Amino acid sequence: MNSSAADTAGSAAPPAKIPMLEVRDLQVRVGGQLVLQGLSLAVGAGEVHAIMGPNGSGKSTLAYVLAGRPGYEILAGSAHFQGRDLLALAPEERARAGLFLGFQYPVEIPGVNNAYLLKTALNAARRERGLSELDAFEFLSLVRSKSQLMQIDDSFLGRGVNEGFSGGEKKRNEILQMLVLEPTLALLDETDSGLDIDALKVVANGVNSLRSAERGIVLVTHYQRLLEHVVPDFVHVLCRGRIVRSGDRTLAVELERRGYDWVSEQAAA
Amino acid sequence: MNAPATALRQTVLDRVLGDFRGAMDSPQSRAAARLAELGWPSARDEHWRYSNLRAFEQLQGFRPPAGGVPEAAAAWAALRAQMALPPAPPGFERLIYLDGVRVEGQHRMQLSDDAAPLLAAHLWPAEQRLGLLCDMFANDVAQLQVRGEAAIEILFISSQRSAGAAAYPRLQLLLEPGSRLTLIERHLGAPDSSSLVACNLKIELARDAMLNHYRLQQYGRHCLFADTLSARLAQRSRYTVHCVAVGAGSARTSAHVQLSGRGAAVVWRAIAVGRGEQVHDVALKVDHNAPDTQTDEMFRGIAGERARLAFSGHIQIEASAPGSQAQQSLRGLIDGGTAEIDLRPRLEILTDEVRAAHGATTGRLDEDLLFYLLARGIDRQSARALLKWAFLGDVLREIELPSLRVEAERLAAEQLPDVTGLGDLL
Repeated sequence: MNSSAADTAGSAAPPAKIPMLEVRDLQVRVGGQLVLQGLSLAVGAGEVHAIMGPNGSGKSTLAYVLAGRPGYEILAGSAHFQGRDLLALAPEERARAGLFLGFQYPVEIPGVNNAYLLKTALNAARRERGLSELDAFEFLSLVRSKSQLMQIDDSFLGRGVNEGFSGGEKKRNEILQMLVLEPTLALLDETDSGLDIDALKVVANGVNSLRSAERGIVLVTHYQRLLEHVVPDFVHVLCRGRIVRSGDRTLAVELERRGYDWVSEQAAA
Repeated sequence: MNAPATALRQTVLDRVLGDFRGAMDSPQSRAAARLAELGWPSARDEHWRYSNLRAFEQLQGFRPPAGGVPEAAAAWAALRAQMALPPAPPGFERLIYLDGVRVEGQHRMQLSDDAAPLLAAHLWPAEQRLGLLCDMFANDVAQLQVRGEAAIEILFISSQRSAGAAAYPRLQLLLEPGSRLTLIERHLGAPDSSSLVACNLKIELARDAMLNHYRLQQYGRHCLFADTLSARLAQRSRYTVHCVAVGAGSARTSAHVQLSGRGAAVVWRAIAVGRGEQVHDVALKVDHNAPDTQTDEMFRGIAGERARLAFSGHIQIEASAPGSQAQQSLRGLIDGGTAEIDLRPRLEILTDEVRAAHGATTGRLDEDLLFYLLARGIDRQSARALLKWAFLGDVLREIELPSLRVEAERLAAEQLPDVTGLGDLL
């Protein structure tokens, strides 16, 4: 099951030295337009990265391509996750390997019960990890504790996936799913958009509760405000399909102050 | 160019009418005369466009199996020992008809004046003309008159005896004022060569009566099912129908509901799941003839493989029906390379004061929904199954009798091979 890349690195090598996610020179076309134009990014275990950028810079495309959404044409480059060729895996295989995409616009699926979706997804992930499936009781107690953290009422679990949820409820539900699934790498696509300040704090608490030395988190965001609550180790600016600048958290603050034009102009110069 | 088609239709009609020509005057011969007058339906007629009329041309015969009640009873005695009947829901009285002949249970109809319109020869309109077949050939009829509350289950079973022949289940139902009936009507059985089942139902709801009607059609694939239903609702009566159609090679339902009394309401819920070469076609007409009447229609159909489904919902609100409400939601899911679904919503409103809404959509599984489930690690087949199941859930969830809902879910799931793998689905 493990890819050969891990073997060549030598079994004794500490895993932290190989980036958990390594994207190299990725070029992606969507609807005839080149959206990612040679993007490279490395995320190590235990790190939180923020990817910022103006609208249309390719942030969501990056998240979707990594999660395997159809409709994206990969022209060049590579993406490896824990040494495995991510782009060769089906979306469900990526998820089971430990990658989680928090959707910017979570869909409503009336008739598919939230709890059923969570249980099916969790057991698929557990099977992949060689763990036994949770029974109904174990599952419910797990979900209840996580939904309390996300301030989601138990009754939501019996409803259709995101059915009739407000924008904020949908985002909290995404984080709830993430907490239950405990992914190795979380890609959160504009999870902060459309949240009021209270909901933002709840979401940030949820994300922070998942921070650990084994886990990588990538926050895709337009604004800096989420980063006040989930403090990133690295901040990257994405502009016209490329990372044009990287730095620590102070870069986000500077961006907030000076706007994206500042980096775009620098990149163009 | 149409000469051969016309000739074929004429041939079918000749075979149907057969020895009715020149017969003595009787309700049967009058039905035959009416059919002769209307002619055999043509696919060029909008009402029959999506029906598999060809299947009638391939039938070997239109007569019911030879013999009468004793023969049916003997056949039933033999069949009963080997046939696994669906479990009877608790509290329901059960009637069983074998090839259209009663073999278990009791009729209940006092031939009072109330029942007169029900029992009178029915002038089935042209779009329901296949109902005449049943009036011509049926040699029995289920007659039910309900006062107070009742729960009845009728099994219409098609047996090997009807292979190459035809069965004509018939039901006449009268609900007295203020009465309540839960009726389960199940059509099952599987002769191993082509056979016709043509049934007709006449339903009268007196004022304030309430009918919950569950219809499960699960005939074998050799069956050609022609189903005709006419219901008339007096003031404040309420008719709720749940139809689950999964069986028969070809099935046509021609239904007509007349909201004749002020405040009468019909709720029509239907699912059809077709696969292989199945053809399911429903034409439902609702007439609002009185003020403050209501229609609420929902259809969900999934066509897999090469199946064809059609649902035509025609709601007509007359000038005599101000204050009426009509809702219609028709949705089709195409799940096979050459499957087809045709939905035809039609609202005809001849008065100003109405509230009406309708929507009809047909498409394939939504890729965004599918990707969402995949992105949660659910395998593709289960994800597709979940979405299909959710699609039917709109109707299935509304079946209030738990044991029947389980049965309906099982029947639907059997038509969707990937769904059966989902296990503890809901």
